[in-house]
Amino acid sequence: MTAVGKVYGRPPADFAAEAVRRAVADAGLQVSHVDGLLTSSGVSGGISVDLQRDLGLGELRMLSHLQSYGATAATMIQVAALAVTSGTASVVACVFADSPLQPDVGAGAAYGTRRTAAGWWGLLGASGVIGANPMYALAARRHMARYGTTTEQFGHIAVAQRAWAALNPAAQQRAPITLADHQASRWICDPLRLLDCCLVSNGGIAVIVTTAERAAGLAQPPVHVLGWSQSHPGQYLRRHPDFGLVTGAATAGPAALDMAGVTLADVDVVELYDCYTFTVLVTLEDYGFCAKGEGGPFVASGVLGPAGKLRLNTGGGQLSGYYLWGMTPVAEAIIQARGQGGERQADQHDIVLVSGNGGVLDHHATLVLGSVAGAS
Amino acid sequence: MTVGPVARDPATAEFFNGTAAGRFLLRRCPAGHFSEPQAAACTSCASTDLGWAPAAGHATLVSWTVVWGRPSGDAEPDRTILVIGELDEGPWWWSQLVDTDGASLAVGQRLRLEFRRADAEHEAVPVFALA
Repeated sequence: MTAVGKVYGRPPADFAAEAVRRAVADAGLQVSHVDGLLTSSGVSGGISVDLQRDLGLGELRMLSHLQSYGATAATMIQVAALAVTSGTASVVACVFADSPLQPDVGAGAAYGTRRTAAGWWGLLGASGVIGANPMYALAARRHMARYGTTTEQFGHIAVAQRAWAALNPAAQQRAPITLADHQASRWICDPLRLLDCCLVSNGGIAVIVTTAERAAGLAQPPVHVLGWSQSHPGQYLRRHPDFGLVTGAATAGPAALDMAGVTLADVDVVELYDCYTFTVLVTLEDYGFCAKGEGGPFVASGVLGPAGKLRLNTGGGQLSGYYLWGMTPVAEAIIQARGQGGERQADQHDIVLVSGNGGVLDHHATLVLGSVAGAS
Repeated sequence: MTVGPVARDPATAEFFNGTAAGRFLLRRCPAGHFSEPQAAACTSCASTDLGWAPAAGHATLVSWTVVWGRPSGDAEPDRTILVIGELDEGPWWWSQLVDTDGASLAVGQRLRLEFRRADAEHEAVPVFALA
């Protein structure tokens, strides 16, 4: 993991190469041990299979660039796990980096989607549908209208994650906030306020995946990939009765837990993709932490935050920690599974449930990670 | 300006011929299923034999959001209401809701399609209004 947040003046590929070098060293390996490389890029692009050259890597047995937006990080781990268990490669580096932030440019402007002038995309932009904010707001509103979910309930998620971020030295926003602060924050796309939306960050994160046998002899406590699943509903900008109500998490979550041979009751730590507070709420429902439609009362019930019983988004997440797409929850999950969370470390961390979410709830990837092989 | 400028390309030429004449064209397969205008295959049966068929122009409100512009000085920020409308033929469409402050919107409210242009040089864009 590189420095993250307001780290200016470096292209994404530079962050990506540094992230791989750091991850390799962290594992107690040499860059030359890497024989598989999976790359992924964010809004600023700039990363490709050319990273092999940037890293000075020789012949690789696996090399590819993946893209399912916010689901990519968890998906890379899945592909890498398949590769090392099949013998396709033995040490796979999975890397994501992005650097949209520039000095003196607002985060919204840095992240804004350029309006396309022609065709279907041009029509969407001309209609005013620009970027992710309004699309997630439409999803959140639908949930509110159907189930009575409120902006105050979204606020509980923002407040709890900021309290976690206060315990994370790498977090971008660490000053405590209250529910009143959330309610006073300006509307971005009603019903989403500023404090419902994730940050914009620069930086890079890489994860090294190898076999359990190899990992046992390396420098860090191994984190085992116990289960995984994906779900891609395939309804973007189409009639979609479940839009805003049920996501791919409802399929992928239970499938990944089944593969790991565990249930929700076994899960010690939960790291959910949180591009918006609403995303956390709907994913909690879909994973089964509460019944469908009861996410609002559930998050307002006192279960969240360092004082609550649910260890959720323990680094502050994308809302208050840093926003490196799906690598934000993946990285915090690995830190927690290793027991290296410092002040924010969960006492129990045998099983960690991780989500990735891409597009507008269009792509979901779940990981079940464990501190013990085949833990239950 | 309510809507932004948009130009046609080969994929949207027929659709924009429709909006220029005040019609919202959907795709329809031989079995009679309607799909969104951008569909490359029928969203019900995957048929690629798609013709164009005009929507009647009536819809119901599926969801809405009020997009706030960035605050600047003392001026009240611009607000734009975006909605998902379910056309009576079935497909959904995403666009602005015009001529209302959006104060009392509710799922299921009746909408109708209208068409607006950024300027004479650009294509007519479908928008929703309260019916």
